[in-house]
Amino acid sequence: MDWKKFFIAFVAAFGFIFLFGFIWYGKLMHGAHQEVPTLWRTEADFGNHFSTLVFGHIVMAFFLTLVCARFVPGGGPGACATLAILVALIYAGADLITFAVQPLTTKILCGWIVGDLIQFTIAGAIIGAIYKPAPAHTTFVKERSP
Amino acid sequence: MKRFILAFIAAFIFIFLWGWLYNGVLLKDVFAEAQSLFRPREEMMGLFHWIVIGQAGLALAFVMIYASGFAGGGIAAGVRLGIMLEILAIGARCAIYATQPFPAKLLVLISIGGFIEMIVTGVIVGAIYKPNQSLSSS
Repeated sequence: MDWKKFFIAFVAAFGFIFLFGFIWYGKLMHGAHQEVPTLWRTEADFGNHFSTLVFGHIVMAFFLTLVCARFVPGGGPGACATLAILVALIYAGADLITFAVQPLTTKILCGWIVGDLIQFTIAGAIIGAIYKPAPAHTTFVKERSP
Repeated sequence: MKRFILAFIAAFIFIFLWGWLYNGVLLKDVFAEAQSLFRPREEMMGLFHWIVIGQAGLALAFVMIYASGFAGGGIAAGVRLGIMLEILAIGARCAIYATQPFPAKLLVLISIGGFIEMIVTGVIVGAIYKPNQSLSSS
């Protein structure tokens, strides 16, 4: 495994996932979330748990990079994005279960599923574009001496 | 294709039964401690089909990921995939914990159950799904 490329891909994926999460879930879906205010922590309480949010995003980015690096041997944005879509489908399944047990609105459910799909697809494409392992067999051609 | 469908059905049945046993029976009292965050039981039963659809989607996605890059590694590869997917889920659970006032104990117990669920699902899928021999030279 090319650890330097892996690390760069992980950092880029984390940056994107965190930024996307802030814009999509924190800003664009803020109104939808406020329809069920009892489900969320207060601003002050959220601030106290912010480090857990960052840690969660680091874990997600690291393991998404690991899954892509180990199981898409050729790398590439298309193949990694496809794998990431499948990972997003697992999250979508979990979202449906959450919807059944927690008083979420349909708007929140749809927002979460669409958000998961966009977030993971783009993150997968970023990882695939950055993490491309070196070819296993390299042919060296000797220059002819004059 | 036949093995793919068999693996999906077996994984789905296990996820469904484990979800019922672990979350519905064993953790019943722990969930009750955070009752304000959940729907009333009658309302939940009215939305039960979404739990079934969600679990079926989860099982299908698991088998598809396994078939797309892990098949050939057998049970060990299935377990590895299950562990990685559960750690990804724990990342998402940390984000949920930061935004919703869940007791930490509940999320830890859900994660332990999730690990068991994903590892056993990996064993089931790895044991049942075998790639076409002529296509699996790697």
